[in-house]
Amino acid sequence: MPGLRTAAAVAGAALLARRALRRRIARSPLWPLPALEVPVSGRPRARAMRLAVASRETIADGVVQLRLESRSPGAQLPAWEPGAHLDVLLPSGRMRQYSLCGEPGPAGAFGVSSYTVAARLVADGRGGSRELHEELHEGAEVEVRGPRNRFPLVPSHAYVFVAGGIGITPLWPMLRAAEASGAHWRLLYGGSTRASMPFLTEIEKLDAGRGRVTVVPQDEAGLPDLSGLFDAVPPATAVYCCGPEGLMDAVAAVLPAGSPLHLERFTPAAATEGNEPIEVELRRSGRTVQVPADSTVLAAVRAELPDLPYSCEQGFCGTCQQRVVEGEIDHRDELLDDAERTDSMLLCVSRARGGRLVLDL
Amino acid sequence: MSNTQARLPQPVASEQTALKPRQVSFAWDETPLHWIPGDPFSTHTINVLHLLLPAGERWFVHVYKQILPYIKDDDLRADVIGFIGQEAMHAQAHDEVLPHLREQGLDPTPYTAQVDWLFEKLLGDRTLPPGRARKWWLMERVATIAAIEHYTAFLGNWVLNADELDRRQADPTMLDLLRWHGAEEVEHRSVAFELFMHVDGSYARRMRTWATAFGALVFLWQRGTRFFMANDPTLTDRRVSMRTFMERGREGVLPTTGSMARSIPRYLSRSYHPSQEGSTRQAAAYLASSPAATAAEAREKGVG
Repeated sequence: MPGLRTAAAVAGAALLARRALRRRIARSPLWPLPALEVPVSGRPRARAMRLAVASRETIADGVVQLRLESRSPGAQLPAWEPGAHLDVLLPSGRMRQYSLCGEPGPAGAFGVSSYTVAARLVADGRGGSRELHEELHEGAEVEVRGPRNRFPLVPSHAYVFVAGGIGITPLWPMLRAAEASGAHWRLLYGGSTRASMPFLTEIEKLDAGRGRVTVVPQDEAGLPDLSGLFDAVPPATAVYCCGPEGLMDAVAAVLPAGSPLHLERFTPAAATEGNEPIEVELRRSGRTVQVPADSTVLAAVRAELPDLPYSCEQGFCGTCQQRVVEGEIDHRDELLDDAERTDSMLLCVSRARGGRLVLDL
Repeated sequence: MSNTQARLPQPVASEQTALKPRQVSFAWDETPLHWIPGDPFSTHTINVLHLLLPAGERWFVHVYKQILPYIKDDDLRADVIGFIGQEAMHAQAHDEVLPHLREQGLDPTPYTAQVDWLFEKLLGDRTLPPGRARKWWLMERVATIAAIEHYTAFLGNWVLNADELDRRQADPTMLDLLRWHGAEEVEHRSVAFELFMHVDGSYARRMRTWATAFGALVFLWQRGTRFFMANDPTLTDRRVSMRTFMERGREGVLPTTGSMARSIPRYLSRSYHPSQEGSTRQAAAYLASSPAATAAEAREKGVG
């Protein structure tokens, strides 16, 4: 009976295969499947953490310094580098960026026990600083993302730092890093009054009487004189400036050729007011669209390309991320990481500095 | 055989709702490794979601971005756009659990790197000539997503009704993640199927992709549970068996094997429509009370 014999052979093979497979699975639950060499899932991103205000002190007139710690005692937080900031989600839902000004900790994934931020009360501001001053008392809980660094300290043999008021916060860890690396540095630090300028004594102590720090309180000496700022600096000195727009423009005006200038705007233009119109070139489709000040890049581009993917229109889902070929991006989302920010943007919320963008669309 | 009205998919009108992504965020500091107390097997069986969903739902988004030009119906397009954002947030939310597992000594990377390969390479955009081959591969993947969404809606409906998890005092943050996700899956359960019926609708393709998706899900799920049980640093009893799975199903901590078996012929029925299963009203009620979803709502108002 050939039929019966075939059936018996098939059944026997099936039994053998089942037994072999069961042994195989029992021995190693993950018998080989190909894998991506650089996995995408579970990468530590700038993820949300809930921290508690461990201490709060007034370090200058109108300036409070908060130390934030994890709620589980002894937990380590991601380390950071000078220039990094933290996105702080205030109780009202506003998201604000504050530069870190404490100890960065050793380079590596985890390594600091707390974050320190300082903020000045801006009475006529957009309400974020008022909220931080009035509601974040010791023990209060706050959600943060980060740290992220959009103002990194590049290695250099010489630095010039220019700080205006609370703009000292990202520069203060930089000063210590520059001093530790043995580089030449000098600091011009302007403010309205001595009492309102944070970290003054610490900075003077760091300088150790070597005359590298010029402090210019406006009530004693007026606005800082920038004309002598770059006298006798070595060529290719890295220049770091954080402060009001006027100060940063003035520094850019007297900058010697060959010195890279690094700026940190601590009040990014508000989300809807003061927007500039943008011209967006869609390079692959060979078209150019105009984005009015009261519209988003997404809406303008969608008028030309109706099948463009998007979803949340608030900068959190990431569907409308597109590659940018040219132009300086003004990122206004909380999603992309630093590597993605160099060459892509979320069309629904982000805009451009300088009025022009070229997209790979 | 004629296509009479009774044989065509019958949507339930009252189950339609407008879809919008919600910007949720979860803090995992206080979630223990075994978030169903004293039951590592059930914990890890459900934890497999965190292994599959980040890569899987990113893949959904990737495929659906390419299907937009094929949609000729404005209501469906609006649904698909809402669906994409919800899936993108699901991927992000589950992705954030993985570093927390790693901090507790259970590194998921060996497994997730394989799932990443599966979705990014094996099921990614292959080098195909534009035209028929490329469209065939796109439709095949759209049909696969419709089959997978049948199971995500099934699981979403299950977790919304799994009162046993509350009785066993499962971690509230993890339950909120699962139920927020489950409620959104129930809310948008019709989109993937309607999209498939709109752009293709072939019954042979529905059968074929269901078989692939179901087989892959069973394979990946048992493998994920075994992986977690074998690598959990705190366990002494690492046994995984179908019998334990069925027992936990009867206790109500996991879906029952019977209900899973019964859902198979429903999907393969010619008159199947996802709106016939689950309740949009129950999903909406959960979303209105979920801590994460209400915080997302407040955040949207605060920013606006």
